[in-house]
Amino acid sequence: MNWKFERIAGPYDGPLGGLAWDGAGMLFSDIMNSTIYRFDPKDKGVRIWRKHTNRTNGIAFGENKVLYGCQEGSRRVVRYESDGSTTLTTQVMRDGHVHNHPCAVTVDRRGRVWCCDPYNELATWGPQLFGKLEHASVLRLSQDPAPQRRTWVIDRMTFDTTNPRGLALSPDERILYVSENNIVEDGCRELRAYGILPDGTLAKPLVMCTFGKDVRGAQRGIEGICVAADGNVLGCGGWKRNGPGPLIYVFSPKGAIIGTHEIPGDLPVQCAFGDAGLDALYVTTGDGFLFRARRTGLRGGRKTDR
Amino acid sequence: MLEVDMATRELRSITGKHAPLDQIAKGLNFSEGPAWNSQTGEFFYTDIVGNAIWKWKEGEGHHVVMKPSRFANGLTFDKVGRLLVAGWGGRTVWRVELDGSHTTLVSRYRGMKLNSPNDIVVRSDGLVYFTDSFGALCNVGMGFEDVQRYMDFAGVFSVTPDGKRLRLVIPNMVYPNGLCFSPDEGLLYVNDSRLGLINVYSVRDDGTVGKGRVFYTAVGNESGIPDGMKCDVEGNVYCTGPGGIHIIAPNGKLLGRLRIPDHTTNIGWGDKGWHSLYITTYHGVYRTRLRTAGIPVGSGFR
Repeated sequence: MNWKFERIAGPYDGPLGGLAWDGAGMLFSDIMNSTIYRFDPKDKGVRIWRKHTNRTNGIAFGENKVLYGCQEGSRRVVRYESDGSTTLTTQVMRDGHVHNHPCAVTVDRRGRVWCCDPYNELATWGPQLFGKLEHASVLRLSQDPAPQRRTWVIDRMTFDTTNPRGLALSPDERILYVSENNIVEDGCRELRAYGILPDGTLAKPLVMCTFGKDVRGAQRGIEGICVAADGNVLGCGGWKRNGPGPLIYVFSPKGAIIGTHEIPGDLPVQCAFGDAGLDALYVTTGDGFLFRARRTGLRGGRKTDR
Repeated sequence: MLEVDMATRELRSITGKHAPLDQIAKGLNFSEGPAWNSQTGEFFYTDIVGNAIWKWKEGEGHHVVMKPSRFANGLTFDKVGRLLVAGWGGRTVWRVELDGSHTTLVSRYRGMKLNSPNDIVVRSDGLVYFTDSFGALCNVGMGFEDVQRYMDFAGVFSVTPDGKRLRLVIPNMVYPNGLCFSPDEGLLYVNDSRLGLINVYSVRDDGTVGKGRVFYTAVGNESGIPDGMKCDVEGNVYCTGPGGIHIIAPNGKLLGRLRIPDHTTNIGWGDKGWHSLYITTYHGVYRTRLRTAGIPVGSGFR
């Protein structure tokens, strides 16, 4: 089935990032301009949803209409509250170190916030008082359940990643999909499936897809991921520079490539389902576009994949 | 020993030949707010990331004044001797009364929360001026409660001591930071950390200011930016910048730089005759003693 992508917005003067469907409109991040926009499919209008977002990239809805956002310019995952305020989680690991630059986020049914925490070549705002971590991992933020505490703690979930760029949970939340996307010649570029063990830690990952290199250099692997209701995994990958080009990949849960879909822009960043039937796929790109393909034959699954 | 560079002859008349440089505090994480209380002989300062207000007295050492401090930043004293705080992470300007209670002077402008009050100075008639940059809303480890920025501008405000009259004095800066008056209070200097320069404005009796012009552009490639700033009694302007502290004559000419061995964040006059310069840095507090006196804080509680 061929998907026809239409341009919804852009080009913006910088990469677009995270996507989140709020039930009636699609939020998308303009990273470098520190703005989250909202596209309303009814009138096709694009309006500012939140300003001054400190280079927020990945976004995902949690409980009570809270939007979690990865502020790459401030090295933290914040909560965009429905009253317009922005509150903090924590950016300090259990050992006292400040984590890196979270770029992608998803929320599980228990309200725990999973994020990719790679390095970012752009410094944060303000004084550089805190060094980076010695690892770039998937992290999980959770709140102390004691009602009088509610303090946030961070658990490191992966111990084998160097540049995790995207993540999503399976519909039953038993598998965590992670895109490891280290775009240097000897870097690892894989789409991985980590089983979530009963004790909450991750099993050794299964590799669903590997990206190589050729005379034109390292291929760009998968960046953003989302999972359809039927369990198929959608990944944004590739670029015009080499390889098969910028594509949306559709993988079966076992890793079979069911299909690929060309997108009109370059450097696809994130994808998410939206629209009334949750059967439209929205894609942001590094060259500043928001695209949409309607009637994909797939439907959005978990809340944070829409 | 205090080291200097880019020094003119005038600088030597300020520093003398052998000015000391003593380290008073270390182990801090973004020290700020140097303010001397001439009534008690205590030196006050903040540790922003450490979330504390400290005081130090010669021979007695360091004591916590407040922790957590809601990530307080700039400090000064008013004429009565009350501590005034640029609240930074807490997004308010507040005051410690003589009985120890706290009064919030201002938290909103036209219904919007302030950005994050950065530094603060009091005119001799009691009018409080503060810069309202947005750093606490985006810097790592300085945010608190609500980090959403609501105002699309960053400027300088004045507020009456009763907190009732808040006025946007300078509306159009990128990142206003340090501010100080000339000795006769006819001029207000305000620096902009992002642009790396100092502006100067004529001040009217009603507290408003004229259009302003660029007074000085910071030189040097070392670590440091225009941040804390104070005047001496001769009208020379002392401003943090690359390499340490830049001393600029009233005509805008650089007289030289005091080299400080850590990224310098702010400065404050103190000690007998107001001849000492307390210097806060990323990780510590230093003190030197100069031939020239500084402008007394809180007008010396006259």
